[in-house]
Amino acid sequence: MIARRWLALFATVALLLCTVTAHAQQRSVTLWHAYRGAEQQALEQVLRAFEREHPGVTITSLAVPFDAYASKLEAAIPRGNGPDLFIDAHERLPSYRARNIIESAAPALGQLARTDTGPDLEPLALEAVTSSDGSERYGVPLALKCLALFVDEELWERAGRPSLETVEGIAAARSALPREAYPLVYYGANAYFHAAFLHAFGGQLFDDRRGTYAFTGAAALQSLEYVQRLLRDRVVPAEVDGASVTPYFRSGRAMTVISGPWFVGELGDARRFRVVPLPRVTSTGRALSPLVTVEVAYLARNAHAPALAAELAAYFASPSAARTRALIGRQVVATPSAWSDPALAADRILAPFRRAARDGKLMPTHGNMRLSWEPANQAIRRALRDPAATRVALEQGQHRYDDASRPLPSRRSPLPLQLVLGVLALGLVFRSVQRARDPAFRYAVKQSMPAYAYVTHAVVIVTLLVVLPLVLGAITSLYAGRDGALEYVGAANYWDIITARGGPLFTSGTFYAVLLVTVVWTLANLALHVSIGVALALLLSRPLLKLRALYRVLLIIPWAVPSYVTALAWKGMFHRQTGAINAMLAALGVEPVSWFAQFSTAFTANVATNTWLGFPFMMVVTIGALAAIPKDLYEAAEVDGATPWQQFRHITLPLLKPTLLPSVSMGAVWTFNQFNVIFLVSGGEPDGATEILVTEAYRWAFTRQAQYGYAAAYAVLIFGVLVLGTRLLERLTTPPHARGGAR
Amino acid sequence: MTVPSRAVATLSLRAIRKVLGSNAILKGIDLEVSAGEFVVLVGPSGCGKSTLLRTIAGLETPDEGAITLGGKDVTRAEPRERDIAMVFQSYALYPHLTVRDNLAFGLRLRGESEATVKARVEEVSQMLGLGALLDRYPRDMSGGQRQRVAMGRAIARRPKLFLFDEPLSNLDAALRNQVRVEIKKLHATLDATMIYVTHDQVEAMTLADQLVVLNGGKVEQKGPPLEVYARPASRFVAGFLGSPSMNFADARVSDDGATAVAEGLRAPIDRQRFSGLERGRAVVVGIRPHDVTVRRGESSAQGYRDGAQPAEISVPVDVVEAMGFEAYAHGQVAGAAFVARVEGRPDELPRRGETLALSVEAANVHLFDPETGRSLAESKS
Ligand SMILES: Nc1ncnc2c1ncn2[C@@H]1O[C@H](COP(=O)(O)OP(=O)(O)O)[C@@H](O)[C@H]1O
Ligand SMILES: [Mg+2]
Repeated sequence: MIARRWLALFATVALLLCTVTAHAQQRSVTLWHAYRGAEQQALEQVLRAFEREHPGVTITSLAVPFDAYASKLEAAIPRGNGPDLFIDAHERLPSYRARNIIESAAPALGQLARTDTGPDLEPLALEAVTSSDGSERYGVPLALKCLALFVDEELWERAGRPSLETVEGIAAARSALPREAYPLVYYGANAYFHAAFLHAFGGQLFDDRRGTYAFTGAAALQSLEYVQRLLRDRVVPAEVDGASVTPYFRSGRAMTVISGPWFVGELGDARRFRVVPLPRVTSTGRALSPLVTVEVAYLARNAHAPALAAELAAYFASPSAARTRALIGRQVVATPSAWSDPALAADRILAPFRRAARDGKLMPTHGNMRLSWEPANQAIRRALRDPAATRVALEQGQHRYDDASRPLPSRRSPLPLQLVLGVLALGLVFRSVQRARDPAFRYAVKQSMPAYAYVTHAVVIVTLLVVLPLVLGAITSLYAGRDGALEYVGAANYWDIITARGGPLFTSGTFYAVLLVTVVWTLANLALHVSIGVALALLLSRPLLKLRALYRVLLIIPWAVPSYVTALAWKGMFHRQTGAINAMLAALGVEPVSWFAQFSTAFTANVATNTWLGFPFMMVVTIGALAAIPKDLYEAAEVDGATPWQQFRHITLPLLKPTLLPSVSMGAVWTFNQFNVIFLVSGGEPDGATEILVTEAYRWAFTRQAQYGYAAAYAVLIFGVLVLGTRLLERLTTPPHARGGAR
Repeated sequence: MTVPSRAVATLSLRAIRKVLGSNAILKGIDLEVSAGEFVVLVGPSGCGKSTLLRTIAGLETPDEGAITLGGKDVTRAEPRERDIAMVFQSYALYPHLTVRDNLAFGLRLRGESEATVKARVEEVSQMLGLGALLDRYPRDMSGGQRQRVAMGRAIARRPKLFLFDEPLSNLDAALRNQVRVEIKKLHATLDATMIYVTHDQVEAMTLADQLVVLNGGKVEQKGPPLEVYARPASRFVAGFLGSPSMNFADARVSDDGATAVAEGLRAPIDRQRFSGLERGRAVVVGIRPHDVTVRRGESSAQGYRDGAQPAEISVPVDVVEAMGFEAYAHGQVAGAAFVARVEGRPDELPRRGETLALSVEAANVHLFDPETGRSLAESKS
């Protein structure tokens, strides 16, 4: 009895102590965000204001780099060393909920001023933080981001002040504008931008409720046909990418531009402009409706000071803090009452963006949304390039999405594999024991000890750097999963790859199609590398050539420059509008070529780049090999009656072969896996047609929801193909006298 | 075996000059080679033998002079237009081809039919005993075998002219002797015109119909080998041919003009050959080690008496090299090294410290001008 009383007392004291220390900690709050520049400045100002209003409270704010933001949160919060609250986009909400790292925002939302319909927040923003069943809200919405229309005042006036209310009104400016200027410029080949048109036709990219890809059907078709018309009528310029919109506007060649808030910073004060909401499509009567992303202050689980965190989150959304964020941080804040401030209501940029956001649609939050960008982008690009193929392009998009989001192979028991490995291991152990008992073997091992000592470090390093990654890669290929959550599935990945997942074996994107491209790529490159390398080596080996050393150095430079630098330089040279190659063609009177619009030209661009990178190696090898051919063989041949060509054909070539062959083998492997060039120059364009096996593997691993197992299976297959290929090459090209003998 | 007749050519070089880099290598070479002749170019290393041969082959173009082959001027012709075959010192076999293909190489280049190629390869491999080697690669053969293939390659072509550049220098002594004889036979069988370069005087002496001694880019002397040996036109030729080399000593013509005298030396002069020598003139006396005879039982202390008897040489012996059937005694005469060949059983050989008394016939005494090195003999031509 007494013991129990003591225990109770002890517990009370302990509890008290805990609350005291907890209370002491409560006076400090940690906030994570990924803001920079003006937004960060505004945030800090808001935080200081909060501290002033709450004496004794300190707020630690941490600006975390955007790249690793989510993974840092996901790692830190469950361990209890994460923030009390953090700011991130609403798209992450389902994933954060699934990881169980955020709390209900009810305590914070309850502190906000209320209107008749609910808290003092934009309805769309509130919708963004509401769970799909409508029961719960996670996070306090702070600001909205979307697209709007930037208008060049001067051009607009010159065009006779056409109506900006409708796309047709804008299009009517075509005739009034100079030829090189366009009524409307935007990044047409991108699904984020095209979504605005799609929504105007009643379609959507992704059905968030069902979690399905939705860029199909009539609305998708109509939206694409609509844009095709705009292109044909030269209302919109062709082949505009993200980077070329700004130069259009700055140089006065775009009357209007569809872009986001970031565009303001890129403009400087080159042009007099204003911002208006996106126009309507006359035929449907609906406005182009941008995708809207909402910035949210999330309350973290395992917070040290939950109450204070909720208070701070609510404070962010308060009219005064919202005003600061709007006026200093240039955010389109989600607090309606803040907009009653005259300065804010009259803001010539923020106010139109707010109106644009009201017409907008929330960015889908389903995890598979991320898988639909690549298929949608490719479908749009293809349709805009080739209107006749619009339907096919849409079907292909759906197919690509299905491919990327296909159900994972079912989980298998690893038992059979374990059994096989176990038996093998046992066999190995048994054999070792058997051999170890043989005195002759033991003696031999003892004798070789010093030799083993010499090679140990090499063996260790090779094991760590080569064998281990290889084995781990091969093991990974037996697993499947998305976003790094892997399950053992046996050989299912291989089976999927080899059977093209049940589809036709040779359509674009299948292993076989990509393999074919890879093989053609390798052969084309090798042929060029070797012929150019040998030709230059022959030239440079002429004893009478002046400045030989200088030429050699100059010709080796392409090899010495890091390949990605070269690749990027060449990509720039192949640019349709600004590239040096089209400029040269133009000087010759040839029409500019869209290098990355067709397979043949994109492939040519890749090959040209890689040839530039690859010939110096063959040249250097050949120069060495040429120097090793005794001169008197040429004299003997000359006396025997050989012409210079015959000398090359019958002496030089056959004697170069033994030296060139290993280099060709090596070059084949390098080219087969030449990631940099493909990735940086064509990037797989058009529609992934110039993708080779490594870049395809990369896409599976890094742009299709981290399907590492599938990518690893690709890698193992690449390894296999290369082993077989080099073997074959050796077999085919080794003359009998060179087999098994030094020379 | 019989060999079908072929176009055997004459070769003539006139005033060939060649400068390589900044060095004049050939300084005006004249040479006539008649059809079927075996000419050996001999001379020390670096005297321009290879350069001359390469010029004949067309691998070098002379800076001056003219080359005619079979009556045609080929001075500026490409090698392939000359129809000459050359055997290189390094053999220069094509390492990537079998012996068969090496032999056939030149024939195929000239567009011969495969049947002809086959027949020729067959013929050559029989002639040189290459039958068993036909499918081997050069690296799988010994030096002697490779050398044979190199010759076979030349023969298969049936050229107008054969050139050999020190073809035996990479073989060991025994093999060299054997192949040398074979080449001689081959020349007889083929009845071909051949020019053969060597720095080995044994090859030069044994092979040549005509011997051409080159020195410093010039022809020192040419003629039948035995004649060149017996009547060297210069001190250089005299010293170059014969082994051991001819002994030389500085001497003076005696007052009666019958002998050349130096300390320990009194050599008779053949007045017929060496007419008109001034008394007291400085000369270089040349005597081959093989041309002396030992005067037994006479003491050198007796000195020399003037008169018609054979002159005497007294050599204090430093070293004796016994070769079995003969020996070489080394000593000093008139301040220069002197070697004498001595015959006899081992116990009869001279010993170190002894002084040998030697005599020499006037016919075997050569006299040279100390300044120019030319022979003082009246030239017969
Ligand atoms: N390409 C060259 N440039 C300059 N000098 C050379 C060249 N080739 C050979 N020589 C020189 O010419 C001389 C004669 O060479 P070579 O005909 O090969 O002599 P041999 O064959 O008689 O030994 C040598 O002194 C050699 O150094
Ligand atoms: Mg030589």
